[in-house]
This record gives sequence, C-alpha cells and structure tokens, in this order.
Amino acid sequence: MLRLPLIRAAGLSGCRLGATGLHTTASKLQAPPEQIEVFIDDIPVLVDPGTTVLQAAAKIGVEIPRFCYHERLAVAGNCRMCLVEIEKQIKPVAACAMPVMKGWRVKTNSDLTRKAREGVMEFLLVNHPLDCPICDQGGECDLQDQSMAFGNDRSRFVDINFSGKRAVEDKDVGPLIKTVMTRCIHCTRCIRFASEVAGVDDLGTTGRGSDMQVGTYVEKMFLSELSGNVIDLCPVGALTSKPYAFVARPWETRRTDSIDVLDAVGSNIVVSTRSGEVLRVLPRLNEEINEEWLSDKSRFACDGLKRQRLLTPMMKVDSKLQPVEWEDALVAASRALQQAPATKIAAVTGKLADAEALISLKDLFNKLGSETLATEQPFPKDGAGIDLRSSYIMNNKIAGIEEADVVVLIGTNPRFEAPLVNTRLRKSYLHREQTIALIGPEVDLTYEYEHLGDSAEVISQLKNGTHPFCATLKNAKAPLIILGAEQLGRSDGSKILAETQALAASLGKTVQAPENWKVLNVLHSNASQVAALDLGYGSSLAEIKAQNPQVLFLLGADDADIKREDFPNTFIIYLGSHGDQGACIADVVLPGAAYTEKNASYVNTEGRAQQTGTAVNPPGMARPDWKIIRALSEFIGVRLPYDTIHDVRGRLEQVAPHLVRYGDIEPANYFAQALELAKKTGSFASDPLELKQKTLDEFFMTDVVSRASPTMAKCVQAVIKQRQAQL
Amino acid sequence: MAKFFGVDKVVRFFQIVRDNGGIRGSLRALYRRDELKSGTLIGEDKYGNRYFENNMHFYGRNRWVEYADHVGLDYNASQVPPEWFGWLHYKTDLPPYKDPSRPNYKWMLDHTENMTGTRDAYMPYSTTRPKIEAWKPK
Repeated sequence: MLRLPLIRAAGLSGCRLGATGLHTTASKLQAPPEQIEVFIDDIPVLVDPGTTVLQAAAKIGVEIPRFCYHERLAVAGNCRMCLVEIEKQIKPVAACAMPVMKGWRVKTNSDLTRKAREGVMEFLLVNHPLDCPICDQGGECDLQDQSMAFGNDRSRFVDINFSGKRAVEDKDVGPLIKTVMTRCIHCTRCIRFASEVAGVDDLGTTGRGSDMQVGTYVEKMFLSELSGNVIDLCPVGALTSKPYAFVARPWETRRTDSIDVLDAVGSNIVVSTRSGEVLRVLPRLNEEINEEWLSDKSRFACDGLKRQRLLTPMMKVDSKLQPVEWEDALVAASRALQQAPATKIAAVTGKLADAEALISLKDLFNKLGSETLATEQPFPKDGAGIDLRSSYIMNNKIAGIEEADVVVLIGTNPRFEAPLVNTRLRKSYLHREQTIALIGPEVDLTYEYEHLGDSAEVISQLKNGTHPFCATLKNAKAPLIILGAEQLGRSDGSKILAETQALAASLGKTVQAPENWKVLNVLHSNASQVAALDLGYGSSLAEIKAQNPQVLFLLGADDADIKREDFPNTFIIYLGSHGDQGACIADVVLPGAAYTEKNASYVNTEGRAQQTGTAVNPPGMARPDWKIIRALSEFIGVRLPYDTIHDVRGRLEQVAPHLVRYGDIEPANYFAQALELAKKTGSFASDPLELKQKTLDEFFMTDVVSRASPTMAKCVQAVIKQRQAQL
Repeated sequence: MAKFFGVDKVVRFFQIVRDNGGIRGSLRALYRRDELKSGTLIGEDKYGNRYFENNMHFYGRNRWVEYADHVGLDYNASQVPPEWFGWLHYKTDLPPYKDPSRPNYKWMLDHTENMTGTRDAYMPYSTTRPKIEAWKPK
C-alpha cells in the first residue's frame, strides 16, 4: 500500500528527512537523538541530525527566504530561493532540502548568498507579470515582499516592446479559487497540499522548463473540503479567492481574532472586516486544533452573514409576520410565556447558539419553573445521560488523534463533519502508519480504511471479540474510538453509546499508550452542543413533542426539522440571526447576532472553551442573544441577575467553571462510572448507521449561515456538475 | 422752522401710517414685518410680492420687498424670483420689466421657493444595494 504521495515516495525528500521533515505535534514523543552543532552566521546552534539548514536557521531566528518550502508540506526544493553559502563548499545549497552536517558554517548573508538570491529573484521575475496593481495578492504577496528584501535594486528588463513574457491560460478550478496562472512561479505548494493534506490528487505539473504548467491536465475542478487553503499557501497571486476578488486590500481591512462555529472543531479564525461588513475569513494558527488550515465552509460561508438576515423583530399580525418594534415583540413573547403553565413551555437550541445565550435561556426557563430544554441534536438520556462529561466530548483531544495507531470511526464521516479532524487522521495515516476502520456507510475519507460494515451490531462484535478486526485492535498500543454524535440521535442511541463505552473500556485495559490516554471520543458536528450539554440541556425533541407545549422557544433551532404541523396550537418564539426554517414557523421573531457579531463563548468537541470576537456590530435592530433573553426576562417579571457580559460569564463560571477558562481543556474522567450507569439492556435498531453528510455536495450547506451563502450554493452546483460530467 | 422743531418727522410718521392703510393697517404691517416703511411701488411679480424703493433711506435699506399677502408670516427670502433678486440686491437698477437684455427662453423653469422642511423637500435615496439583505417572510 503506497501511502505517501509520489513526490515523497520517489525519494525526493522523504528518505532524507524522515519524519522530522514534517511538522507534527506527535514528533515530540520520539526519543531525542544526539544533537549536532552547526554555525549559522557564526552563531552556534545545536540541532537534531536530519534537520535542514533552513530549520536550523529558524531556530535562532534567522529567516531564510523561501517560496516552495512549507513546514507542513513535503520538501520540494524547486524554487531555489533559499540558496545559502556553506563554508568550504563551492556551490550554494538549497537550505530547505539540505540536512545539516556536523560543524557546518552556514552564511545566510554573504556576498555569494545574496548574489544567488538576486539571481533567482531575477529569473522568477523574468516571467512574472507586472500586474501587482490589479493583483489580489498585492500587499500580502511573498514575491512582492521578498523581491523588496532580497531582490536586486535595478532591472535588466529593457525589452518593453516585445511581449516576451510567458503567458499561461487560466484554469477553471471551481467557484472558490480564482486562477491567474501566468503569475505562477511553480513552487508546487498547491500540488503538495492537494495530494498530502487534502488527499485529492488532482493537481500536478505538465511540461518542463518554461513550458511547465501547474494544473489538472484534463479540465477538472479542484473540489475538496479544504481547497481554500491553497489560496493561503500560494506565495503569489496565481491562486486567489474568487468571492473576494477585487474586494479589498489587506491594509484596509480590520482583523478580529475569532472562532469558527460552523462545525464543532472550533477552528481559530481571523475575520477581515471593512466598514461594517465581513469580507473574508482566514485561518489563525492553533497547533492544538486547526494547525493553519481551515475548511471551505468556514472560510467561504461568510457571505451568508449578509443574506437572509433578521434585521427587525417580527410578529404575526393577521397571520403574517410583520416587522414591529422591540417592545411589541418582547411584550408579545413575554405575555405568551407568562400565561403558559410551567409544564407547558419548552426550548430548543440550535447549532450556533453560544454559551452566554444558553445559560441565559436556561436560567430564564428555570425561573419560570421549567426544565424542558433540549438541544437540536438529541443526546440519550438513559444511563449517565449528560451528567458525566466523558461520554460526550472528544476526550483524547484533536491533536491526540495523531498519536493513535488504530482508530475506529463509528457512524461518522470526519471528512465532512470535521474536516480538520480528518486532516489529522490523514496525516497519521500517511506518516505514522495509522490503521483506520469505519463502521457506517462507506464514504470517501481521502485515505484507505477498513470498512467493518454499516450495522451498529459491529460495535458489539468488536467488543465481544467475534469480529475479524479484533485481531488488529488487540495488538493496538494506542487505540482510539471516535463516535459520531449524529448516531446518538437514533432510537437506539443510548445502546450505541453504552456499547461504545464498553468497547472503549475493554480496549483501555490493553492500552500501552502514554498516560491519560482516552479511548472513547465523541465527535460532534454542532458547535453549540458541548456547551449546551455542559449547561444541562438534557431534554429531547421527542419529549417536547409529547409534552405538546403551549410556548416553544427556538434559540436558532433551524435544523431540527421542527414543523408547524407538530405544534399546531403552540406559540413559537424564534431567536436567531437568519430567516430560515425556525423563523418561518414562528409567531414572534427576535433578531439575534451571528457569530461574527458578538463576543461569545463556544465549546468545541474536545470541550475546549473559546471565545469569538465582535468583528462587526449586529445589523439593524439585532442584538446579542443573551441581551435579548435578559430583556425578555424583565418583561416577564423574572429579571435575570446579570447586566453585562462579565456578569453572564460569572454566572457561567458558577455553573461550569471550565466554560470561561478560554483555550484550556478540562479533562473529563469517570469513564468507569459512566459505563456502570449505562443501560445494559435494549437492542440495536435493525436499520444501518446513516449519515447526513456523505458526499461533498452535502458538506457545503449545513447551517443557517452556509445555507444563506451564495458561494456555498455555487459550490454545491459545481460538485453536482462535476459528478454528472464524470458519469 | 418746522424742520427745526422736528415737526416734519411727525408729519412723515402720519404719512407713513396713511400709506400703510391707517392705524389698523400699520399695526398689521408692523406685526408682519417688524418695521414701518413707505416707498414707491416699483413693481409686483407674478407671485404677488411687491417691490418698493425709497431713496430717503440709505443704500442697503432703500429697496425692499413686501411678500405676498397670502403667505402671511410664512415668508422667506427664497420666495423672491431671480429676476427681482438682481434689482433687490443692487446688481442692476433696472427692474425686470424695464430690462431689454434679460434672457427669456422657453425652457426656463418657473421659480420655486426653497422646499426644505416641507413635504416637497428634496430627499435623496440610495441606489446601491444594501450591505445586509433582510429576510422577507413568506
């Protein structure tokens, strides 16, 4: 089985560098080999053998210019920008690909080095168009910066009348990436990213010399859930963002550090805004979560924040929703809540709800005497239910996936439910010989895996040791089970959870992995889910339906398939940012803020609390969600005792202290107790495990923001078109 | 002699009062314009404003307009049409009807007063798409 892409397998770099050539958080596990001493600009530095000159220089803060080298990709060594002089060697060497030898004296700023750089830069610029003024990369272009810093200060370009520059036809690689291939300097970063990280071996080079072209050879779109990252990787303006084309310059935009909430990974992002408008979303480095990648939905769905928004409170007047003032809407909502008995009110939260809104809503309902608060995605109530945190978070952390040697995925498609978890799996599959098995429908995970079947019975078979895969599991040193949260919503959800817990416990006995190794992991797809479960949203939609509530409060619940027919006589209050399913069936609509418009806490699938930043103000009359609930409580006459966000967070700290310890993970334990409590009875439902997101077109539109986004709609169309063309 | 004792001023006062239509008319004029003046009627425009001149007053005060009666107290300087504006502000000494060189084309619009603060005020509207599009309930 050839795991590594051809470029590494062919020995271009892989054999020389081994695992150290790649930046993994897992590499720290290896025993430290003897270090060797080299001199960078006469400064001694101790490095591991196999370290490249470039990495050794980076260790003491000497930045060697580069285009093709990227620390998370295989070394290509084809741009030659990193040439440096090494004493007693005739020719300059490429620092990115050359492992250091003992006692080498590297000169990163000598005359020879400088001349080599200037020469390389001149060759690159010979065929690079002079269109910086109309290029979207302008201002954040590596070629611009490095030609200023390391290029020659005069030009030998005199041939202004002869259009002798290389010209390459642009390629259509889909609705997300704009290509201007004439600008390409053939660093091959995009090719390496596509084949190594994204696992879509579509890009490559054709021709050689000045005829070399980067492309797909046959006309084909580069469709992947991670395709947007090649925009960040491209050091020049050859690959730029299509929706962001000609929109803004980087120096005009205001950048706000925030958190992505469109999946439960909690990727760290930077939101670029200008004059009250979100222009683009870029990834922010976080080694623990998203490294430096970002999924396409998180990156490109931001134009959905400008469509289908709820700008004013609305109320049903003459059986039609009409814009009204805040006071009228709040009075109507509060009257309904006041008149209903405590047993006849219920709340459902959606996938984008933040912890502040969740605690306010829960406090409000508790004050009214109700405990019927449910999450959109059900969590089984049997056994330990939501009491023990270990049964609903990803206990072993996202970065911990890399250290596992056998991973069993149960009823999940991490490629689309959490693309950045999938990149970890793929990374370990490629570089650490990880074995991955899947129970559930057969999907393309970008790597090879063992398909154990799509029936939930397989979990029991694994536990009992009657399945052929148990041989592999038994020998595993660090096994990992990742259970898709979607399966917990099935009628046999509690049985699946109990069996998985039992399987994890039986595997945990044989584990030889490092301390604190946790076998059981739950992968969520909803950003609000863990916070909601932490705060005690323990009811379920089925219970609410059975209760036949008089008032139903939807906190951005658009994906629960709540229909008006199920609640014919219920007064429905919807609080959310977008007009979608929830707002359609509501009697009162309260406009809330989207995730870029509020300072709010979210807890990702690992149980890591993080906060979003206010990049822009909520549009129109919309307000942050917790403030609306706070105002509503005053109208009802049960005033919630907090006035500022700090007070709310103080309350959060009382309920669940880890929710305000931003960036940290509070490890969950009590696996054994959860297993004890788990119901042993019951049986699996006969229907096979099913997934909501199986193919790429199902990935793009999963929540209110991405459903409102025209870019995401184009992506879906592109995927369907490509699939039909291939048939 | 009469001048020495200031009797002519008293005489002029009564003259002015008479010109303004007696005591009642004078009080009304004072109420409307805050001053009592009399002069030669130079002309009247089609909106009913009457223009007076009395060179006894010094330059700057010797030409004035009495706004049309129907506007009552709602008069303002923009009600003076451009042809009389020139005469009123000493750009020309010829009132419009005596000025042969004054252009008069078919396409010239009628004068309108400043509509600011009324229902007909000019209100520009944005033609650009809103940055944030609202959801429209079905």
